[in-house]
Amino acid sequence: MTEATDLAERAGDRDPRVGLRAVAALRRLLEQLEAVQVRSARHQGWSWQEIAAELGVSRQAVHKKYGRQ
Amino acid sequence: MFERFTKDARSVVEGALEHAREGGARTVGAEHLLLALLDREGGRASFALSALGLAERREPVRRDLAEARRRAGLTRADTDALADLGIDVTEIVSRVEEAHGVGALAGRHEGGGRRPRFDRGAKAVLERSLRIALAHRDRHIGDEHLLLALTALPGTPADVLADHGVTYATAAGVLYGPEHEGGMAQAG
Repeated sequence: MTEATDLAERAGDRDPRVGLRAVAALRRLLEQLEAVQVRSARHQGWSWQEIAAELGVSRQAVHKKYGRQ
Repeated sequence: MFERFTKDARSVVEGALEHAREGGARTVGAEHLLLALLDREGGRASFALSALGLAERREPVRRDLAEARRRAGLTRADTDALADLGIDVTEIVSRVEEAHGVGALAGRHEGGGRRPRFDRGAKAVLERSLRIALAHRDRHIGDEHLLLALTALPGTPADVLADHGVTYATAAGVLYGPEHEGGMAQAG
């Protein structure tokens, strides 16, 4: 049995592992989504300040994370 | 730490760097170490993989890794867990790719040309391989210790390997004998 089907079966029992895995996976997905959107905004000429405002974080935080790409 | 690496282990590390570079990644991740391990023939890790029936199935492992990369590094187990919350990862990936191109979520970064550095996950694999070697009283760190470390640390490589029947227990079993199939995954 693969780990995937194993996990799917345990989901029915509300195994915390499934919920925790979902949170960790969502975090990874979120990181990549943010990177995609920030790159796209930069390509369209957005300033770091504008991007930061939409994300609800400081300009420095966005620039530090994506500035050197 | 690298002075304790065998020639096989060193070439896996170099191979991982090469895979990262070819893939346009800014960092070398644990999945690049696994890709490099899959390229190896004749080493201890290669022996373990073949003993576990992966001799002909290395291509599917590569394919699963590539698939996971396209889904922001999420494995089947991850997408199943998210489906449980009503989140359809395939749908998200396809919409993002529609707007931003195929592989948009794969974390590729073109340009730079700088030598990619090892990310936290890859460093964790190297450190764990040292601890696993110590736990087995092996004097050198070989590619089999890298394989064991990849199965022991949670992440995409461990998930993909497990889907193909390679876990810490099964790998340790073929490398060190059945008595090592126990809970050594916690070693270190």
